[in-house]
Amino acid sequence: MTAATQDTSLEAAYPDYLHCLAEADEHSAIEVAHRLLDGGVAADRVLLDLVAPAQAEVGERWARNEWSVAQEHAATHISERVVAAVAAYVDVRPTRARIVVACMDGEWHALPARLVAEVLRLRGWDVTFLGASVPAAHLVSYLHRYDAYAVALASALPMRLPHAHRMIEACRRSDVPVLVGGRGFGVDGRWARRLGVPWAPSAPAAADLFDDERALRAVPPADLVHLADDEYASLVSRRGELIDSALAELARRFPAVRDHSPAQLDATVSDLGYIVDFLAAALYVDDGSLFTEFIEWLATILGSREVPVATMDASLEHYGRLLHDFPRAVGHLQRGRAVLAVANRQAA
Amino acid sequence: MTGADVRDLDPGDGRSATPSVDRVPVWRPTTSRPAAGSAAGEPPWGQLAADWAEVAEHLHEGVVLCGPDGSVRHVSPVARRLLPEAVVGGRLAAVEQLTSHESYLRHHGRRLRLRQVPLSAGRSCWYVEDVSEDEKRAEELAAERSRSAFLTTVGDKLGNPMHPDRAAAAVVRLAVPTLAEVAVLVTAPRSGRARWWRARQDADGTPAVDRGVLAAAQLPPAIADSLRGSAAHTVDWLVEQAVDAGWLPGGSAADVAARLVPLPGRDEPAGVLLVARGAGGWYAEHDVDLVRAFAARAGAALTTALLYREQTEVADMLQASLLPVAPAPAPGVQWGTAYRPAQAGLRIGGDFYGSHRLPDGGSVFFLGDVSGKGVEAAVFTGQLRQCLHALHRVEQQPARLLRLLNDTLLETTLAHGQGRFATMVLGVARPHRDGGLGLTLAGGGHLPPLVLRASGEVEQLPLNGMLIGVVPDPRIGQVSTRLAPGETCLLYSDGVTEARGGRWGEELLGTDRLVQALGGCHRMPAPALAERIEQVTCDWLAQREHDDIAVLALRAAGGGRPQRHLHAVPGATGSDSARTTAQ
Repeated sequence: MTAATQDTSLEAAYPDYLHCLAEADEHSAIEVAHRLLDGGVAADRVLLDLVAPAQAEVGERWARNEWSVAQEHAATHISERVVAAVAAYVDVRPTRARIVVACMDGEWHALPARLVAEVLRLRGWDVTFLGASVPAAHLVSYLHRYDAYAVALASALPMRLPHAHRMIEACRRSDVPVLVGGRGFGVDGRWARRLGVPWAPSAPAAADLFDDERALRAVPPADLVHLADDEYASLVSRRGELIDSALAELARRFPAVRDHSPAQLDATVSDLGYIVDFLAAALYVDDGSLFTEFIEWLATILGSREVPVATMDASLEHYGRLLHDFPRAVGHLQRGRAVLAVANRQAA
Repeated sequence: MTGADVRDLDPGDGRSATPSVDRVPVWRPTTSRPAAGSAAGEPPWGQLAADWAEVAEHLHEGVVLCGPDGSVRHVSPVARRLLPEAVVGGRLAAVEQLTSHESYLRHHGRRLRLRQVPLSAGRSCWYVEDVSEDEKRAEELAAERSRSAFLTTVGDKLGNPMHPDRAAAAVVRLAVPTLAEVAVLVTAPRSGRARWWRARQDADGTPAVDRGVLAAAQLPPAIADSLRGSAAHTVDWLVEQAVDAGWLPGGSAADVAARLVPLPGRDEPAGVLLVARGAGGWYAEHDVDLVRAFAARAGAALTTALLYREQTEVADMLQASLLPVAPAPAPGVQWGTAYRPAQAGLRIGGDFYGSHRLPDGGSVFFLGDVSGKGVEAAVFTGQLRQCLHALHRVEQQPARLLRLLNDTLLETTLAHGQGRFATMVLGVARPHRDGGLGLTLAGGGHLPPLVLRASGEVEQLPLNGMLIGVVPDPRIGQVSTRLAPGETCLLYSDGVTEARGGRWGEELLGTDRLVQALGGCHRMPAPALAERIEQVTCDWLAQREHDDIAVLALRAAGGGRPQRHLHAVPGATGSDSARTTAQ
């Protein structure tokens, strides 16, 4: 019944641990982890059943506007310290080849990738963790300098898929196979399949995939024939013009927008930019669900901050008008507006 | 292809062909008397029939005429050679099972094309042609195409810069299965040890790669000779040597064909490639040509990879000495840093930061930015940090230390005619008994530091001064402040505030946006704060090009348990509502 006891202690530790994160109490958080390890709980369970779910909860609290960005950052920092403490406690000697773990350029949520790195380390791999937001050039020059058996690339941002694709191709040109993970490739990895790259839903799954080099290398080619219609390329080149035009439209239709503070204006510009970027990514992988999922998420975020969705709907409508000769983009925008209407009714 | 070719293939037969003139009526069934063809106005059928045998001899196609019952009525000379079993009165058993009107048949070692054309009165005619040559050419063309496609793939895969080990593994993996069932690459020995990579064809046809090391002295003689560039192209006991080395599965030399090809390097071969095929496989001349063409590309890839590694090894050593060093741990101080050079591949740049412990328990810390970018700038930061490392031992008062640094740099730059200068903030932090920090800062033309107060307010310290390394006796600004436990002082380079972003990528981030982004962040640990600034800057940049970015945060960590103390800080309820402004 050892397993049961461990379960209980992990379960019992979870609220304590979450409290430490809320209090930004690094020492106590590390103490919680050490107590579990002392009690015989396996290191990977501490990482995956304590640190990971707590971090997910941190994200939820931010999304619900219960925690500020600052609190989220502080909690994440403490989680990272705890991961380092767990790694130091176990101190596994690497017996296998090198695996490089990195976050996509622009991906600042390094903890999930860090957890994957530590789980791989526990399985004997010689892991190099390059950290958050790794520029492609840095990753590639690292691969040239130090041989790596494989690269694990993390991204939670679907809008970065086109860049992810370029980064994956760059690694492959160095003859290093790539495994991707994170919500940025779809909850079921469907966009990873579109890019022709193996995807792992979890750290243990990633570790299992790395055990099989042939599976890692035997991947179907990327399926991106739809890019021939140039909708993606045109949208990207028109980004600035689209945002400008949408901003003018919003100012025309909503007087409040004219009175925005500089910070509010920045936020509006960046939201308008996100819409274009997610639309571009949806065009890149030819999957409208990428865009509608983003609209749903944005509606939730704005809803929890009591921002009316009317401006968002107006932006989608305006983009649709400007992009009238891009059939795929227009379709995504229409479905986005439908999703928004549903979210709006549910909120009301 | 032609009737003559067919004759050549079947010597003697052509001469003995005696066309049966009696059967010629076939060609004009209405003419019962062939000799009557000379009648005026009528075509000279009789003459044509007489010439027919000679004409038919040179047609590409042979002709077999069959009656309504399927029995053979006429066989032309060419058809007789191609279908010797076709005899007048017999049946065309060989082709009867062919159903379509045009089909191919392998017959007596030839490839025949047959087409059946229905004639009047239920008769039919088979036209038969020898297309063996066509086939051979098509096969040769296909083989040539597959060879060039293979070499194109090889060029694509090996044309990219790679780590030498990756390149070696890629070479053997690419060789299987096109060139070999087993491919072994042995690289030129380095300090007495030669490394080898081997790819073997798995059950499902994909190559599996493994590798190992051999002492140079234990290399099979053929390999060692070849690595010295002095080997014969064919070695009789090559297979045995490969078996002895344990490279060939099964451990038997029987029925195995092998070839050894050097991979051209800068001077001596970069390595040698052993290719082997088992059970009846052999290497024809064009196979060996292909292996050589492959070896040329593999050699180039390996040489480039080795050259690149040699250079990066040197560059890495130099880079390591120029990278900012993490600040030295000091009592009462929590450090946080962020560093993002403009050239991501280079990893070094013109921004620098650091700290040194002082004998009295305090720390001297600094952050700055030198003129220029890239390697040259990085080298100058190295000189600057070395200077500070030495000078802080003789002078600990920040403004005087900065002046001392200015004089030293001025002397160096004058001597070398470099004309380089720097902006920087240099400070000394001394821990107080209550867990706070006393700060004295000196400014040399750098952006004034920000202080995150416990109230959530962001304060810009009034600090200015002149560039360091330009004029003797520059004006140096100085300011003192106190950090209560949990308060943070932030030093950053202009790569942060001058990051260009916005809708068109032309708007500067600016101090206002930076201060705005720090609102409500006063409870953050210093490393998280430094990373937040890096993140805010990079988000603003949205992957555009940028200048070097550096951040140094120092936070008064308080006593043993700073967080407990922090908890009691008034107003630290952690919400975005706290509005902050720069002073």
